[in-house]
Amino acid sequence: MIGLFAIWEASVHLFGIREFILPAPSAIWSATIAIWPTVLDHTLATLTTVLLGFGASVLISLPLAMLIAASPAISAAIYPLLVVTQSIPKVALAPILIVALGANEVPRIIVTFLVAFFPLVVGTVAGLLATPPELIELGRACRAGKLQELVRIRLPFAVPFVFGGLKVAAALSVVGAVVAEFVGADAGLGYLIQTSMAFFRTPLAFSAVVILAIMGILLFQTVAMLERVLFPWSSGAEHAATPAA
Amino acid sequence: MIRIERVHKTFRGRDGSPVEALCDVSLEVASGEFVAIVGASGCGKSTLLRLVAGLVPPTEGRVVLAGREVTAPRAETAMVFQAPTLLPWADVLRNVTFPLRLMHRTTPDTEDQARALLATAGLAGFEGRLPRELSGGMQQRVAICRALLQEPQVLLMDEPFGALDALTREEMSLELLRLWAARRMAVLFVTHSIPEAVLLADRVVVMSPRPGRVVDVIEVDLPRPRSFEQEGSDEFHRCTSRIRAHIFGERNARAA
Repeated sequence: MIGLFAIWEASVHLFGIREFILPAPSAIWSATIAIWPTVLDHTLATLTTVLLGFGASVLISLPLAMLIAASPAISAAIYPLLVVTQSIPKVALAPILIVALGANEVPRIIVTFLVAFFPLVVGTVAGLLATPPELIELGRACRAGKLQELVRIRLPFAVPFVFGGLKVAAALSVVGAVVAEFVGADAGLGYLIQTSMAFFRTPLAFSAVVILAIMGILLFQTVAMLERVLFPWSSGAEHAATPAA
Repeated sequence: MIRIERVHKTFRGRDGSPVEALCDVSLEVASGEFVAIVGASGCGKSTLLRLVAGLVPPTEGRVVLAGREVTAPRAETAMVFQAPTLLPWADVLRNVTFPLRLMHRTTPDTEDQARALLATAGLAGFEGRLPRELSGGMQQRVAICRALLQEPQVLLMDEPFGALDALTREEMSLELLRLWAARRMAVLFVTHSIPEAVLLADRVVVMSPRPGRVVDVIEVDLPRPRSFEQEGSDEFHRCTSRIRAHIFGERNARAA
């Protein structure tokens, strides 16, 4: 990583690349420092959208996944709709939402949610349905009801799958938030990229991109850390799922 | 203890046509008796076990357990599957106590009993380990302890050693006999290993495939406690060759 930045810095100076085409890391750094309170404001604005959108994905995806896993009929009714939401480009949807809901935080959160929730639903459903049939039979042999089966067997079994979905959703929320900010926002890193580029202030746009990357990495790592701390058995569970058989 | 009365079981196949899994099966198992069921794959032996467990209902006939017809899973039975089917997130101790916790049948002594049981199964010191840290044989031992802790009057075992290597398998069968001797519940043991069936059981039920029918019931007249030395005895050979004659004789007759 450090080597990459060094090569970048050196080649910009060596080949005399103009700053508005590719700024050197040092130029990006100084451009950021120069107006850091503004950059911080934009970062916080984006972070709010990302976290709210991600939170909405979690709150909606998990119950939705349970519903889908519970019955083939519900699954047949809902799944096509979910696929439709995934086939529509969110960039196309964002302006419509903004007209309908007003230029505020809500359409941005909805766009972020729409980008992020799908892998979480798919992952959780896969986990709920991947429970070995013998484990379900064990539950039935112990006269467990449907609810007990879900809470005591299916949900814990799905945890590694849920976290797989959460990691993808975390990274995608950042993408979703920026897409929404590109279309309609007066703050945020996506907005910063657009306004900077309009004035050829490329270093500042690059600064926003780097911050977005860091944000994505941190969010991903937070989810991974939560998994390790709360469900230590889960991190290696994919490998242990087929022991002797 | 168990009375299987003229049971038929028909499943609906993939293409919708009915598949007869069991045809007119009758069998009685006394309490404390060890009965093994052998047969080629597809002879419905696992289905028979699931009928006794109350997991699937018979199409015709009935299963009576301790004087009452089986209509749903019962507290008197416990089951061991071919795969250990342990909860990957729970340690060994919590896996063993899981059925009792699920049925709200735990007492203050449950944990001590579980520890004692694990110790007799050679798992002392492993209580806090996760299933994935154990070998296949140890995992299956945990599964057996999990069934025994329920203090069942009927233990149903569906090829419990089927996924283990040959050496572990021999070791586990003697261990199972030891655990059974101390408790003396009725055992219904499904296997596809003829020597294993004869070594373990008081009686061996031979089943034929498609539809599953009882072909013969063989009394194994070997003294207990059993050991591998008995595999050289005349009685052992009498039993195994009679079972082989049923299973392979039938197959040859069909091929002709």
